[in-house]
Amino acid sequence: MQTNRRKFIEQTAAAGLGLATASLMPQKVAAFKKASQFTILHTNDVHSRLDPFPMDGSRNQGLGGVAARASLITGIRKEKEHVLLLDAGDIFQGTPYFNMYKGEPEIKAMSMMGYDAATMGNHDFDAGIENFANQLLHASFPIVICNYDFNGTALEQKTIPYQIFKKGNTKIGVFGIGIELQGLVPENLYEKTVYQDPIIMANRTAEILKKEGCNMIICLSHLGDKYEDSKVSDEILSKESYDIDLIIGGHTHRFFETPRKYQNKRQNEVLVNQVGWAGIQLGQLDYNISSYNTSKTPSSKSIFIVNKTTK
Amino acid sequence: MCFRKNIVIPLSLILILSCKQLPQKSVVQYQGFQISKQVPVDSAFIRFLVPYGNQLKSSMGKVIGRSENGLYKKQPESEIGNFMADAVKDMSEKKYGKKVDAAFVNYGGVRSYIAKGDVTVGQIFELMPFDNLVIIQEIRGAVLQQFLDVTALDGGWPLSGLTMEIKNKKASHILIGGKPIDRDVVYSIANSDYVANGGSNCSMLKGIKQENKGYLLRDALIDYAISRTEKGKSIDSNLENRVVNANE
Repeated sequence: MQTNRRKFIEQTAAAGLGLATASLMPQKVAAFKKASQFTILHTNDVHSRLDPFPMDGSRNQGLGGVAARASLITGIRKEKEHVLLLDAGDIFQGTPYFNMYKGEPEIKAMSMMGYDAATMGNHDFDAGIENFANQLLHASFPIVICNYDFNGTALEQKTIPYQIFKKGNTKIGVFGIGIELQGLVPENLYEKTVYQDPIIMANRTAEILKKEGCNMIICLSHLGDKYEDSKVSDEILSKESYDIDLIIGGHTHRFFETPRKYQNKRQNEVLVNQVGWAGIQLGQLDYNISSYNTSKTPSSKSIFIVNKTTK
Repeated sequence: MCFRKNIVIPLSLILILSCKQLPQKSVVQYQGFQISKQVPVDSAFIRFLVPYGNQLKSSMGKVIGRSENGLYKKQPESEIGNFMADAVKDMSEKKYGKKVDAAFVNYGGVRSYIAKGDVTVGQIFELMPFDNLVIIQEIRGAVLQQFLDVTALDGGWPLSGLTMEIKNKKASHILIGGKPIDRDVVYSIANSDYVANGGSNCSMLKGIKQENKGYLLRDALIDYAISRTEKGKSIDSNLENRVVNANE
């Protein structure tokens, strides 16, 4: 099934490319005139928080829960035409639901909410790699990750490096990046998984997506937003990147006031965002792009962030 | 590459320039929604969770004690951390039938809190959801120092049987059982197998022989809570300057 999907993506990409070269001029004119709008909804580090936090006087009491998140998402989908719902990993671990059911209700709930893609966090290995592969049987969305080599494990052929979505006149490429597992996840849980350099793999994958004609490239990252030492993070990745427009981060459980802006290697702006953990927040980024630059040479992209009041 | 370049040659330079300067303008409106009680719920999801929740409640709802003040997480020292580290020290001594000089819990492994009121098995599962085991290692003071330096760099970990200061991101003024640490003395240390296997940057512990009876850290917490309750004590602890920041 996975190979079929990959083939399908390749075919659609090839078809799209052919069309572009065949009718170059009209396309370009059209692209200049048409503004593009789409909405990215995102979560990270939900950690099995299916129910809201209990009403016990603690800081997060009453917050979170899939039933409320689902209704919020449904409402936004009614309002917005082009929506992508994404998660940056650590779906598993943190409530007794996980100890008892090993991730089944978490994956089922995400499928019910219509998640479009998610990446893997370190805690998604917590009940073993085979368990994650088994729980994916309940998933109606792909796990995108491009820097873990799962050859010889239960996850071989069960994940994809990226997925391309067409939303209106925007082609959105979504790929995933995972954190170094050694020293973080016990070896018997990740088994033969090989961690590959996230910057090299992210740039390589983003380049593929650009060549496939994506106007918007999103990285789902479980690296963490930033560290005091030189450990690779979303901050470092964004500065070392060429083609990524947006990094949806996780792992460090930070609630960003507003998305952070960095300059990439082409002096273009990259946004990084993270919405804490436990499904306490849902991030919504409404993109309104004036025009797609049709030039193949790198052009400047400027992003203006307008903050709405947090509800 | 600019498509207007070919129109009129004398103008091409200007047009190339203007095209180059034509940026792709994105306006991004950001909104972070708090998923609060005010958000209406989707009843299909409530129904979906019922069968899972019912089964959970029967096993997780068991009350094993009561907290008068509640225990929460912070660094360099916290009430919940002291409770957990004391549990590891106390229960490992009982389980392994020997004296343990010091016990540790990695700060990143403290996943929740205990609210004031009844303490349930489920709360302990949230506090320690991982299936980590309590193990014992015999380590020399020099290695212990390296390990404590990692905990200091991380801002201070829960510990029991030992006190220390964090000075310039290193562990200093370390007292074990009231005595200064000795590089050549061998100490008996209780830790989680995750840390002892090199997790949380503790590679200095990796490869050192472990005594392992397959005792879950979570079970140690549950057993300790039950034993306190049986002795008529609440599930509470105090801050005792076990770990302090020297630079403050």
